[in-house]
Amino acid sequence: MAAGEIFQGYRRERGLPGVRNVVAIIPSVFCANTVARRIADQVAGTIAFCHPVGCSQVGLDLELTARGLKGLGANPNLYGTVVVGLGCERLRPRELAEGIAAAGKPVEMVVIQEEGDTLRAIEKGVALAGRMAEEAGRQQREPFPLSELALGLKCGGTDATSGIAANPALGWVSDRLVAAGGTAIFTEVTELIGAEQILAGRGTSPQVSGEILTTIGAMEQRLAAATAGAEFKHRSALISPGNEDGGVTTVAEKALGGITKAGTGPISGVLGYGQYPAGSGLYLLDCVGHDGEAVTGLVASGCQLVVFTTGRGTPTGFPGVPVIKITGNSATFTRMRFNLDFDAGPIVAGASIAEMGAVLFAKVLSVASGEPARAELLGHDELFCITRI
Amino acid sequence: MAKALKIDSRDNCAVVLDDVRQGDRVEVRTEAGIVSLNAGSAIAFGHKIALAALAADQPIIKYGAEIGRASAAIPAGAWIHLHNVTCRRGREGRG
Repeated sequence: MAAGEIFQGYRRERGLPGVRNVVAIIPSVFCANTVARRIADQVAGTIAFCHPVGCSQVGLDLELTARGLKGLGANPNLYGTVVVGLGCERLRPRELAEGIAAAGKPVEMVVIQEEGDTLRAIEKGVALAGRMAEEAGRQQREPFPLSELALGLKCGGTDATSGIAANPALGWVSDRLVAAGGTAIFTEVTELIGAEQILAGRGTSPQVSGEILTTIGAMEQRLAAATAGAEFKHRSALISPGNEDGGVTTVAEKALGGITKAGTGPISGVLGYGQYPAGSGLYLLDCVGHDGEAVTGLVASGCQLVVFTTGRGTPTGFPGVPVIKITGNSATFTRMRFNLDFDAGPIVAGASIAEMGAVLFAKVLSVASGEPARAELLGHDELFCITRI
Repeated sequence: MAKALKIDSRDNCAVVLDDVRQGDRVEVRTEAGIVSLNAGSAIAFGHKIALAALAADQPIIKYGAEIGRASAAIPAGAWIHLHNVTCRRGREGRG
């Protein structure tokens, strides 16, 4: 394998290798958050994924929580998981633990009501997490081909440079990775309205093209229903004031600039929330555009790494998954230097997309191999956010 | 001289790459080389300038596709933004 064609990762029993190697402490319900956080506080190499859901939910809402947390637990960057339950919640801790174990991962479980109280649950959790972190720490990185990489594509804080520079550069990277047998996933279906015909034209089969149209059409209907009342008219804009200030006028303009980050290649399929792709290629994930929900969705579909383009500049990150920030706005890059990893601004000044794309691709492989992204250095972790209905 | 970029050959607007004042000469990078025109008003970095006169209801083309329609006649060199564009989708209360 030639340099530039590999990355260094952590081998897993099944599925893609990790580009990080963390032990997750995942509560099955928000009631277990404090116990989960205190276990993570006491064991280096672990991360608590606290969230506000897991009970008093029904139907699709509860199902999305279950799929999201199982998908998270199955992510290649996690060595293994300690599930922390309360005991009476609707998302049963055993269901979550079994769902994660089905991906071939080490899983342990602590249930507060079974252990007796907070202190005893923490004590047991620390012992289990400590043992798992010790095993994870013995692993060494090994070289893997690009076909073992799944990259999430995201944008946020869009301005007019996003569609000219940062997104096309990321699109070049996406095309390059998919051509090498790797996987790329884009989402933000709320932000694809106006670009659905172009995307449907890129489906690998009539069935995929139909799924793309259905997915975007359903999202548009859902938004129309949510903003139908007269009292919500002032809350119906799908683009933010920052987008408008930056020169983006309409949702279609934002969509057309946004889809350039998914390159120009064929789209192999549409993924449901928490669903992993069946093979390599470019996939569309059915999830809203909210930065946290979308990145969580990408992680819960197995992305080991996310590249996030931003014109206005955003500092956010995801625990255990590098989120590489790139901007096409050199002024933003200078102003938010410590938050941003890559300046695609030279494209605005006339540099070629291929030239900057190749430099970005090398950066992606370096971060995959262990170089920390800025969001990791700064401890940004606010993007973990389970989607709801 | 201020600069602007025409992204796709089918576009009828360009993105200005400097803060432009009213009356400034703007050089637009296009598929056919540099085209220059006068800015009809101040236009901020990243915002759109009309490359030709547009009639009311004519599509605004960027990235080679329609992003909205002119809500009134737009002269060449004018700033194109919320005040002279309609797009029914995604903006039910404001379009």
